[in-house]
Amino acid sequence: MATTHSDSETLGGESVEDFDESEQSVEARVGWRYTLSQVREDPTAFGGFLVIVAAAVVAVVTTIDAVVFEFLAQYQVFAQFGVEKYWLAKTVWMSPVQESADTTALLPPVGIENAYGQGTWAHPLGTDDRGRDILLRLIYGTRIAIMVGVLATAIGLVGGMVVGAVSGYYGGWVDDVLMRLAETLYAIPFLVLVLAFIAAFGRSITFAMIGVGVASIPKFARLIRSRVVSVREDEYVEAAKAAGVRDRNIILRHVIPNSFAPVLVQATLQVGTAIIIIAGLSFLGFGIQPPTPSWGQMLSVSRDHMIADPWFSIWPGLCILVTVVAFNMFGDGLRDALDPRLDN
Amino acid sequence: MTERAAAAAEGVDGVGFGDPLVEIQNVSKYFANDEGMLSWLSVNRDADGLPVETGREWVKAVEDVSFTIRKGETLGLVGESGCGKSTLARTILRLLEPTEGSIYFKGRDLADLSGEKLRNTRKDVQMIFQDPQSSLDPRMKVGKIVEEPMQAHGMLDAEGRAARAQELLEKVGLDPQHYNRYPHAFSGGQRQRINLARALSVNPDFVVCDEPVSALDVSIQAQVLNTMRDLQEEFGLTYLFIAHDLSVIRHISDRVAVMYLGQLVELADKRELFENPSHPYTQALLDSIPVPDPRADGRRGVLEGDVPSPIQPPSGCRFRTRCPKLIAPAEYDLSDETWDRVRAFMRHVKRRDFTETDPDAIRRRYFDGRVPDGAAGDVVSAAIDDIAADDWEDAAERLQSAFAEQSVCAREEPDYEVDPEYGTDRHTVACHLHRE
Amino acid sequence: MSDPLLRVDDLQVQFFTEDGVVRAVDGISFDVHEGELVGLVGESGAGKSVAVSAIMRLIESPGKIVGGRIEFDGETLVEVETGPDGDPYRTEATMPDGELRERIRGREIAIIFQDPMESLNPVFTVGGQLREFIELNRDFSEREAREEAVSMLREVGIPEPEARYGDYPHQFSGGMRQRVLIAMALACEPSLIIADEPTTALDVTVEAQILDLVEDLQDRYGTSFVWVTHDMGVVAEICDRVNVMYLGEIVEQAPVDDLFYETKHPYTAALLDSVPRPDQTVEELNPIKGVMPEAIDPPSGCRFHTRCPEAREACTTTNPDCREVGFGDPPHRAACIKHDAFDAAYSGSPPLDAAAQQGFDVSLSGGETDD
Repeated sequence: MATTHSDSETLGGESVEDFDESEQSVEARVGWRYTLSQVREDPTAFGGFLVIVAAAVVAVVTTIDAVVFEFLAQYQVFAQFGVEKYWLAKTVWMSPVQESADTTALLPPVGIENAYGQGTWAHPLGTDDRGRDILLRLIYGTRIAIMVGVLATAIGLVGGMVVGAVSGYYGGWVDDVLMRLAETLYAIPFLVLVLAFIAAFGRSITFAMIGVGVASIPKFARLIRSRVVSVREDEYVEAAKAAGVRDRNIILRHVIPNSFAPVLVQATLQVGTAIIIIAGLSFLGFGIQPPTPSWGQMLSVSRDHMIADPWFSIWPGLCILVTVVAFNMFGDGLRDALDPRLDN
Repeated sequence: MTERAAAAAEGVDGVGFGDPLVEIQNVSKYFANDEGMLSWLSVNRDADGLPVETGREWVKAVEDVSFTIRKGETLGLVGESGCGKSTLARTILRLLEPTEGSIYFKGRDLADLSGEKLRNTRKDVQMIFQDPQSSLDPRMKVGKIVEEPMQAHGMLDAEGRAARAQELLEKVGLDPQHYNRYPHAFSGGQRQRINLARALSVNPDFVVCDEPVSALDVSIQAQVLNTMRDLQEEFGLTYLFIAHDLSVIRHISDRVAVMYLGQLVELADKRELFENPSHPYTQALLDSIPVPDPRADGRRGVLEGDVPSPIQPPSGCRFRTRCPKLIAPAEYDLSDETWDRVRAFMRHVKRRDFTETDPDAIRRRYFDGRVPDGAAGDVVSAAIDDIAADDWEDAAERLQSAFAEQSVCAREEPDYEVDPEYGTDRHTVACHLHRE
Repeated sequence: MSDPLLRVDDLQVQFFTEDGVVRAVDGISFDVHEGELVGLVGESGAGKSVAVSAIMRLIESPGKIVGGRIEFDGETLVEVETGPDGDPYRTEATMPDGELRERIRGREIAIIFQDPMESLNPVFTVGGQLREFIELNRDFSEREAREEAVSMLREVGIPEPEARYGDYPHQFSGGMRQRVLIAMALACEPSLIIADEPTTALDVTVEAQILDLVEDLQDRYGTSFVWVTHDMGVVAEICDRVNVMYLGEIVEQAPVDDLFYETKHPYTAALLDSVPRPDQTVEELNPIKGVMPEAIDPPSGCRFHTRCPEAREACTTTNPDCREVGFGDPPHRAACIKHDAFDAAYSGSPPLDAAAQQGFDVSLSGGETDD
């Protein structure tokens, strides 16, 4: 355009200072890298973060392991590489007892002596009443715990996000109806709600997981709604509306991203809660069904041996404890990192 | 005038420069005083039968406002906080639904539109907001912010939008290199420039500016105002410029509308309004502004009291409760001086800002010892007796109903036109002082 | 002239932040005589609020008074010197905290803030807060204090003061709340009131009412004021003498008429030039170019040289102090080396294209810097 030059002359004025130095810190204040760097400075939160990462790695590796070896075991070609032997060994450790010379029933961990004998390095944490290696079952249990906890939370988060965002953004009778519904659900004790869900749809880990997720929708919905109601009043939302941006895009691009921080904290804490609840359900027999190894169900089995062989219940209990505490520590750290009021 | 502005003037859209672009007719906007499921119910213990009443209290934020904005001009809209100017702006933009009235934009009534049709008209009508902090999404980069309106209206492809965004950033006086920065990295003035670039991205005809510079430091204010003027010329824009600061309005506007408690009180050409203000409220506003000149004669604080509640605005002229020129009721036939005394007495009784209760002392203080003759005098004497009996409320009530409520200002809504002293534009004034 | 009521001498306040030391107030001196209304004017970030907080020693961590002396009515409110180890310390003359709190704050010097809502406790009634304040500071009985509170409310123009006594702050309008704060400030008949942008949040008609009220009260009580504002209009209306601040320093100090008609500092001149006028139509505004630099990293030499239309090479190296540049009493001081009072090499120094020199007009491609 011919006028550009003369125009920029008359525009005059306030020009951008050299922001290069401050840019880094300013730009980094939003986004993941900044948040994580804040978390790293908080030892408790960082500890939690490391445990979660470790658990996630274990979960991923065991998943790959299970899938790959199940696949390989089907083909005789691989037998010569010892695949078959490995697979058999694992099945023996993890599944209902198979008559095998290798198995020894109820072995204590290494270093502990009892009526049944001395622990062995082959089974460092001992074996259970069916002779399955406890360490391996715990490792495979991690996969279930993490997966189920995360998925259940995701269900609650997505459901809550939709309900809360719609309710908060549109307000009026939509808000009234949705929030009264959410409050009704909120009034029923959490566990009762999940049990009712399982009773209605069937006793399986899938339904337990969905049940926990659905039962946590009201909590997320209310949290997100309260954020959305305040974000909705921000001028950039009005600006987007005035510019003619569609409602759906306003919610997705402006309202949800700006409402997300406290929700993320709540979600992290909720993963811990979901793990406990599902472990509890498994303990009661409503969750993960044998033979799939899970911490809750391992605890349940150990109930009969609790006095005589306490190690049997200590290990899965400890796993639940560590994981849940890790999620809580990380969640708390995240809250601090994301809280603008603590920002200097 | 630039090529683009000239092209716009030829009237691609059929509206030439100086012709009405936006016509606002009898627009009102009421808000429910409180929201909630059961707020339409209220308890009335004195009622017969059920002690429950239905019906809401309405805040009359904007009532019966009409004016026209011509293509290419800047119409300044000025008023104090709470006068409804921002509500009016949002109603014109259909961010709020008008309770009544029509908003014609290029001949189409925006009040009738909804959904996708309304959304499509937003391409032509844009807004610039007051708060440079909150009007930009902190989690979105500047480039995306400027591109968003184009994307919403399907303008250009991604590459074209990016190029246009950079061009616009440059036009408003920013570095196009800053396309990838977050709003945090910019100062208040620069953020307002980003706001400008966003509003201009879809090539609008009409831009509503809601106090765009009131959050900025004076020196920055001037920079942004200059930019806005230059852009107006280049793009052939029409502005509705809202502000509480008469100095800014005087600088940028072609015509000025003054608003008080939800209604327009005066509308005239800029020069006419500033040189020949005809409504007592406009005069009070002009007298109140501190002038940056120590040798100017300071007329200040000519208004007393606060703006009344918009839930139950005063009858007739809404300004009459604070008006220093309230018209004497015709039936009493009072001299100007006596009427001034009566009014002062009435005001002080209402505000209860003196403590004497002795009738003689009051008479001396307000009436020089002599109460007026006739019916007016009887009312004043009765009120003085009320005060002597320490019955202030009765006294205030008596004076209000005998004087203030009887004035033509309380009985009729004013709407007059005066002959302009400067220029030829219509000069409308809502004040009974100008009847005949 | 008699001794000033308040004397601020070479006051320095610094904020020790993560990113470095911010020199918010860098060696300012001014005084206030009895019955005088002295303005402190500047844009946001100039350090005016910090300067007045320092008078009452209300600077909070990470801020610190690191130098200078504040004297009030012959007493030293604070005196900070730099020790041999380079650390600033308060000298013996400094008034102890307890005494300052008991005797000075509220009683001798009162402060009014911009946002009256923050200064009033929302859970107590307005009258109750005023009464308690009077009761505490003036040793009145509860009943006397109540009467005094009502009459103060009436004095500052609150309608129906008896009835409004029991109202809560949120039931008052902004202007009414500011009146309450003024009543509170006046309650102990202090000799100095510090007003920190008290009318900025108010509408013009209300602002005018408050300015009227202040002028009226000043006549009656003879109170001195330090008035912080960014509005040149307010300055012209009410101030007797004015201090113009830029980036932590006072750049010009003059009686109000001289400041507007005998402007001596380019910043003041530019500021006056950039304000739209309510009383006349100005076709084109002349904004000051650029933005105020950060106080954490002020420009070398004169702090205004990066934006100054009259800057020359010499300005980049010499940071002038505020010197007497005009004749008259009270004196007219300015911190600009273009005046003869500064024996600097201004006239021989080549002019500076401020924008190009600073390289901060990156935003304006070509056009402006081509020549």
